[in-house]
Amino acid sequence: MGTLDGRVACITGGTRGIGLACARAFLAEGARVVVNGRDEVKGMASVDELGGGGDVHFIAGDVKRRADCEAIVAGAVSRFGRIDILVANAGGGSGYAPVAEMTDEAMEDAMVWNFWHTFWTMRAALGHMVPQGWGRIMAMSSLEGKVGKPTISSYVASKHAINGLVKSAAREVGTTGVTVNALCPGAIETDTMVAAGPGAAEAMGISYEQLLETFANESLIKRLNEPEDVANVAVLLASEAGAGITGSLISIDGGTSPY
Amino acid sequence: MGKLEGKVACITGGTRSIGRAMAEAFLAEGASVVVNGRDPEKGEQCLAEMGAGDRATFYAGDAAKQEAVEGLIDFTIDRYGHLDICCLNSGGVLHSAPVAQMTDEEWLLEIDWNLNHVFWGMRRSLHHMLERNYGRIIVTSSVEGKLGKPGIPGYSTTKHAVNGLVKAAAAEVGTTGVTVNAILPGIIETDIVRSTGPESAKAMGLPGYDELIALFCAESAIKRPNKVEEVAAVAVLLASDAGRNMTGCLFPVDGGTLPY
Repeated sequence: MGTLDGRVACITGGTRGIGLACARAFLAEGARVVVNGRDEVKGMASVDELGGGGDVHFIAGDVKRRADCEAIVAGAVSRFGRIDILVANAGGGSGYAPVAEMTDEAMEDAMVWNFWHTFWTMRAALGHMVPQGWGRIMAMSSLEGKVGKPTISSYVASKHAINGLVKSAAREVGTTGVTVNALCPGAIETDTMVAAGPGAAEAMGISYEQLLETFANESLIKRLNEPEDVANVAVLLASEAGAGITGSLISIDGGTSPY
Repeated sequence: MGKLEGKVACITGGTRSIGRAMAEAFLAEGASVVVNGRDPEKGEQCLAEMGAGDRATFYAGDAAKQEAVEGLIDFTIDRYGHLDICCLNSGGVLHSAPVAQMTDEEWLLEIDWNLNHVFWGMRRSLHHMLERNYGRIIVTSSVEGKLGKPGIPGYSTTKHAVNGLVKAAAAEVGTTGVTVNAILPGIIETDIVRSTGPESAKAMGLPGYDELIALFCAESAIKRPNKVEEVAAVAVLLASDAGRNMTGCLFPVDGGTLPY
């Protein structure tokens, strides 16, 4: 008997890193899970990694497109008949530079990838969750949703925006049985970090290794977090026990954030 | 296989309400638990109701007294061989009043009960946990640890203070395998709230107990009180191996009350 028996979860960016860890943890607690990613081949590989079977379903889609975001949510409902849990997890950034040199394209990329995708999927999911009187929305924010760092202002601004969206939405649907929370992980060496970290480090004038060391040193535990740390909190928020937690920005950062 | 198999916990104010829910949740996950409270009769009743046999023990003592708090830590280690999880949960107000009318007796009681008790328990636990490079200290703070309401100045002050203590201690022991966190519940209709709520309501300028509960609920997004089980579930997460990378955290269980 799992804490998520009978639930249907949908995870954007669910084929790797934190999203994959959430998918694995939700499945272990009895949920059926839709994972999204851009790449069909990677998607099918992740379905295999998650044990395949009828409880996992992959939906290809680019979260930078509204139609895809809406199709992912609709696809989860169509596949499993409902949607109880949304983890708007995909995200990242590109073209990192100090504000004075940041391009419109870089700022827009982070805003679409992180903020707009969260808004689009949240809006679509609320359309199902509020009428059914039960739902759990988790937005993957970041430590950078609470603090600023030089040269990654696009990422920082978009994650702060997510936190504001979460707080407002939580107030709107507080009495409906739907909770809306943000998860704020510290640095984790996910595939996204491996891909975007070197660029961010270069913009900061340090090496990738130094970047990771900086993140670890900012924490109290002096090491990076792990995807499973985030997944464990996601399970709690998704379960019945999470019914009384909403509008919260939960830090999973080894004590890095000052608040 | 429970998430706390083989672990040993102690809980101040563990016979009722939040502490009791923590005890039951820990027992369900395989831990052994010492629950503390002032009244031996209630302690025995609690043990009988939990029905956990040798895995649960009661330790009588007033959490506002240093010897009782330190005695609980020492007793737990003596009884079960070690201490992994220390929940400093007891707290409240007795005869609260606005600052202008606050008595020294009440003020000092609240400082001892809500703040010093946490310090005494934390210090004693750390001596043991740091030697073993493993430990979980979980403090029951409150939304009032970040807010401030009229009529309960001592409560707000002491809960703010324990949040600071948690952050400082977490920073001191961050690399040792010991985590230190606070849980910040919103209003919960615990036994202590039911018994002291009417007087606190008066101090807050409210007509009565129902209005006090209504005020807290109105501030939340869920428009209802929280539940003890919701706090206990977070305590299990923080106490388990899954919580190893969360420390210095002020974890809200408040139905969306806190602005930050």
